[in-house]
Amino acid sequence: MNIKVNETPVRTSRNFLINNIKIDNLELPKNVSKFENVDISSDKSIVSENTNISNLVYGNGDLLEENNLKYCNSKIQLETAKEDVKIVYNFDDKNISLINQIEIKADKDSTVYVIYNTKTEKNVFHNGIIKSVAKNGAKLNVVVVNFLNEQSYNFDSFEAIVEEDSKINFFVIDLGGKTSVVNYYSNLIGEKAINNVRGIYLGKDEEKKDLNIISHLNGKKSVVDIDIQGCLDDKSKKNFKGTIDFKNGCSGAKGSENEFCLLLSENAKSIALPMLLCTEDDVEGNHSTACGKVENDSLFYIMSRGIEYKEAIKLIVKSNFNKILDEIKDEELRNQIIEKIDSRLK
Amino acid sequence: MSKTKVDDINRNIYDFKNEDNYDIKLQKGLTKEVVLEISKLKNDPDWMRDIRLKALEMYNKLELPTWGPDLSGLDMSDISTYVKPKSKLNSSWEDVPEEIRDTFDKLGIPEAEKTSLAGVGAQYDSEVVYHSMKEDLLKQGVIYTDMESAVRDYPEIVKEHFMKCVPISDHKFVALHAAVWSGGSFVYVPKGVKVDIPLQSYFRLNSPESGQFEHTLIIVEEGASLHFIEGCSAPKYNKVNLHAGCVELYVKDDAYLRYSTIENWSKNMMNLNTKKAIVGKNAQMDWVTGSFGSKVSMLYPMSFLNGENAKTEYTGITFSGGGQNLDTGFKVIHNAPNTTSLINSKSISKDGGSCTYRSLVRIMDNAKNSKCSVSCESLMLDNISRSDTIPVNDIRTDEVTFSHEATIGKISDKEIFYLMSRGLSEEDAKAMIVRGFAYPISKELPVEYAVEMNNLINLELEGSIG
Repeated sequence: MNIKVNETPVRTSRNFLINNIKIDNLELPKNVSKFENVDISSDKSIVSENTNISNLVYGNGDLLEENNLKYCNSKIQLETAKEDVKIVYNFDDKNISLINQIEIKADKDSTVYVIYNTKTEKNVFHNGIIKSVAKNGAKLNVVVVNFLNEQSYNFDSFEAIVEEDSKINFFVIDLGGKTSVVNYYSNLIGEKAINNVRGIYLGKDEEKKDLNIISHLNGKKSVVDIDIQGCLDDKSKKNFKGTIDFKNGCSGAKGSENEFCLLLSENAKSIALPMLLCTEDDVEGNHSTACGKVENDSLFYIMSRGIEYKEAIKLIVKSNFNKILDEIKDEELRNQIIEKIDSRLK
Repeated sequence: MSKTKVDDINRNIYDFKNEDNYDIKLQKGLTKEVVLEISKLKNDPDWMRDIRLKALEMYNKLELPTWGPDLSGLDMSDISTYVKPKSKLNSSWEDVPEEIRDTFDKLGIPEAEKTSLAGVGAQYDSEVVYHSMKEDLLKQGVIYTDMESAVRDYPEIVKEHFMKCVPISDHKFVALHAAVWSGGSFVYVPKGVKVDIPLQSYFRLNSPESGQFEHTLIIVEEGASLHFIEGCSAPKYNKVNLHAGCVELYVKDDAYLRYSTIENWSKNMMNLNTKKAIVGKNAQMDWVTGSFGSKVSMLYPMSFLNGENAKTEYTGITFSGGGQNLDTGFKVIHNAPNTTSLINSKSISKDGGSCTYRSLVRIMDNAKNSKCSVSCESLMLDNISRSDTIPVNDIRTDEVTFSHEATIGKISDKEIFYLMSRGLSEEDAKAMIVRGFAYPISKELPVEYAVEMNNLINLELEGSIG
């Protein structure tokens, strides 16, 4: 079927080609058997399958949401203790469709890693929802890494609720998939709630990336900071939609959003729509987006040190990503991400 | 504690209304008969009548926009698309009927003509009532006339350009415009001619429950230059009036055109205007826009940079008060190598008004070494107003320098503190900051609109800042 997903919260002219992304010939898997190849490493947190996810505020559209709620084949609910939790989904020849739900409730400082690996050449399909709540002054880190293979479809819907004095740092590292669509919605409901959103994407061949990040600021003095760094090669395409919505009453709130897209090919296409919506005067909001190719000066400098062209490009790409990668504590995972970037830029 | 108050624009000078005294006012609504009637009244040649009929067909096919401000208050069956005032086209103010002349006198148009303009056109409801231009420009071959005369006297030029820059299928209100257009200005600047002093057209809609659909067509030939000013106003009525004008600009190779607009429609006006420019090699198109009036505006001037080294600049300010929803911005298509665009937009919202900056920057794959820089700033003066920024940046090549920045917020306490530490009162500090915010735009506005701008930022210096 042909579907349109990931609608922007406010529509603009159809001719601007950004209100949604059209996906042709997509077959949504139904009645899939339970996804078996998943590892959860946790010592102290409470892990169960009792997720309670219903209507998303935004999400990836009715069809994908319905598909998830009806045919979910992996549910994880986490009440985090003060520790790092790692959830690794391994797609293999027997587990090629994952329709999952993860619900994270954090009232202690904790970090949750969610990693999607593919160990198969087959086309894989992922349609997931991750809902997280931080309360009682907790600081929650959620790191989602997409290592899916190059034929796969990836659909992520994230929701993050940040209560008073709490903080959620949300990382989306999107390195895989023929088509990868990410919808992220956060609601800063409490006073002094903080939400940092960090994203990295890498597109090549004819891959499509569609990121839709929406943050509602409701709490007084709440702060959202969105920083997305990306790189497009070959004929890949990316849509970035970022919305900071200052709701009436969020006095003293601050919101900033920044997106940078490095273009490695003259055929790559980048569309960005950084929106600011505002119904409160006592706020500070700003956004910036930029894109361009690798600067010749930087390239020349690195190459004059004896490094060949391809390696020099890789270095520059990684240096753009570094600020975000440095914030990921798990060194092993960080190295895996860097290796993946290296191998994908070959 | 009272708050420092920023006044609305003093509308007294615009809100006087004349009796709805017309020669012809067509029945309300839009039908084939109405379109044919307009065409007949205008003595259209066949090709123009055919465009009107084709546009009507397109109008009936196209949907209302699914985005932007609510247009449900607009009912075409309640709008008269053609109102002919009791006046012919004149080339001397003396010959313009007193009542109409009086209107333009109050707006200061004849005075401006004497002091700072090279030519003036004045439209009252659906028809142009006055047109004149300085003798020396006439000698140099510059044509400045009303659109109907242009269709009659220069059919080849008009035929080649009319609804070509803005296709009738562009959107519903363009189709509406093409079906019922009336009035507007035609300017032709021959090769190499530099028109140093601006030309100005002023559009006044007096008749209630009617629409104004003027067409402006400007062709600036190779190496020529022009500054064109457009002003618009209307008195306030209780029912909705509609303005769906269309501006088509052709800036040929090495030419320069500056198009300045002050929109000051009354607050019952739906302003759904369309403006586009095609810019040739080494040419430059500058837009200066001030949007102050109307109930709803959807206005996004557009430049197509089709020639190598073409440039465009957009400088715009939008000021939205209570009951107003002003959705404005800019569109640019970079369609050739080494093209440049500079976009600078500011908005102020107050008293429950809503400002939206909406834009498109599209850099096509052949536009190597293009540069684009966008800056938009929004100032919120209270927390019952609304300010949105919706910019789309569509980049299709890697050889490009592109940056976009936007900020939103209230007057900074730090800036007020700094100025007060230099001895200014709180009120003066705030007033200075608001003026400073608007200055980069106001300095680009035509001189004769300076008073208007001062009215706009007329700070009532009382009390302290809440």
